[in-house]
Amino acid sequence: MRRPFNMPPQVVRICLLAIGIVASYLVARYFLTPPSFRQYGWYRGEALVELRQRDTVFAGKKACEECHGDEMQKLAKGSHKTLSCEACHGPAQGHADNPDVAVDKSNTGVCLRCHEANPSRPKWHKQVASKSHYTGSKCTECHVPHSPGDVP
Amino acid sequence: MIPPEPAGPMKTTREQQTPKPVEQAPCSQFSRRNALGKLGASLVGVFAAAAARTAKAAVQQLLVSSSAPKGYDPTKHSWRMAVDANKCIGCGLCAEACKKENHVPEGPYYRTWIERYIITRPKAGSGEARGEVLVDCPNGGMHGFPEPPVAKEDILHSFFVPKLCNLCEHSPCVQVCPVGATFDAPDGAVLIDPKYCIGCGFCIQACPYGCRFLSPVTKTAEKCTLCYHRITRGLKPACVEICPAEARVFGDLKNPAPNDPLQAFYENNRVQALKPHLGTEPRVLYAGIDKEVR
Repeated sequence: MRRPFNMPPQVVRICLLAIGIVASYLVARYFLTPPSFRQYGWYRGEALVELRQRDTVFAGKKACEECHGDEMQKLAKGSHKTLSCEACHGPAQGHADNPDVAVDKSNTGVCLRCHEANPSRPKWHKQVASKSHYTGSKCTECHVPHSPGDVP
Repeated sequence: MIPPEPAGPMKTTREQQTPKPVEQAPCSQFSRRNALGKLGASLVGVFAAAAARTAKAAVQQLLVSSSAPKGYDPTKHSWRMAVDANKCIGCGLCAEACKKENHVPEGPYYRTWIERYIITRPKAGSGEARGEVLVDCPNGGMHGFPEPPVAKEDILHSFFVPKLCNLCEHSPCVQVCPVGATFDAPDGAVLIDPKYCIGCGFCIQACPYGCRFLSPVTKTAEKCTLCYHRITRGLKPACVEICPAEARVFGDLKNPAPNDPLQAFYENNRVQALKPHLGTEPRVLYAGIDKEVR
């Protein structure tokens, strides 16, 4: 009886089993490995594409400037120039896409959020103890948020 | 000793059997040539499958790159975030904006948050340089901070520290992920593949900065992505966009903008990383924090 390389049958069987295991691994890998795996590294390269396809919620200052340039110029002159529009007016991607959609106005207490006195805040930052500062209803009675130095 | 002879009689019995044609048929079917042929065929099959897979991958990559939003190559950017704690006023807008922008679940889940550090004065005559360290973070600092728990006169030093994923170069979270779902992208963002995350939570335990959480909605790990969907569209991350004090600085090291705030930050500050002794090499650098900050 002729056998491959004159190997005893038990060795032939174990070799066939090993080949079977390796082959089934290769077949499984062929079907299970996503095509973009190892595109950049040991992960699915397509995940990068999927992660960047999400929709934005905040439009950004540039989008606001397209229509509200005049307000923006006013803002840029005062000490509130570092503020983003959406910090006070709320996230505005919906409004930027369609101007008929109103801006989400869930942000409240916008002034005191930053300006309420707190010893942990840096010294350079203007702060007021709201209880002793003014007992009226609105900060905007005396202050202009778009140009804080001005008086209404 | 085994007698050397037993092979002889066995051989003779086999030779006696060989003349029968019925016995010969299976022998000729399992010849060396036959077996090698089958082996070769199966190997060719496997290699053909591998070749087909490579071809499929190449074709699919072409399709992927054509359907993806164009104009973004992760190898041509190197995003960095920096935090100037001297400027942070603790308003919490960043933490709130992050929640809205990334649809982070309600509850104690934050991709970025603000911590308040209060270092009290040492007791008179105690011989200590600094007193107790109090750290708090109510609601991630999203709605601001209440009055400090100690009297103003007892505070030696108090400040806010915005926290986020430190985007480590040697990320412990990436090293422990058993399924390759979290990775260090070529543009410097450490990201999670939500489709491949199995929610085992190893990365959450591995992160020394506590920047990850298991989302109760998706049941996968989540973390700061540097607002990957924003930065790849040319926008700033939501926290940077919203920060009124310019405490958070963001930029691209490979494409510096004119008057780049990130370069200015590196030039004007002495920076430090959090927990440098761990060797994680955070890409997020801090200015203006005390030794107590972890």
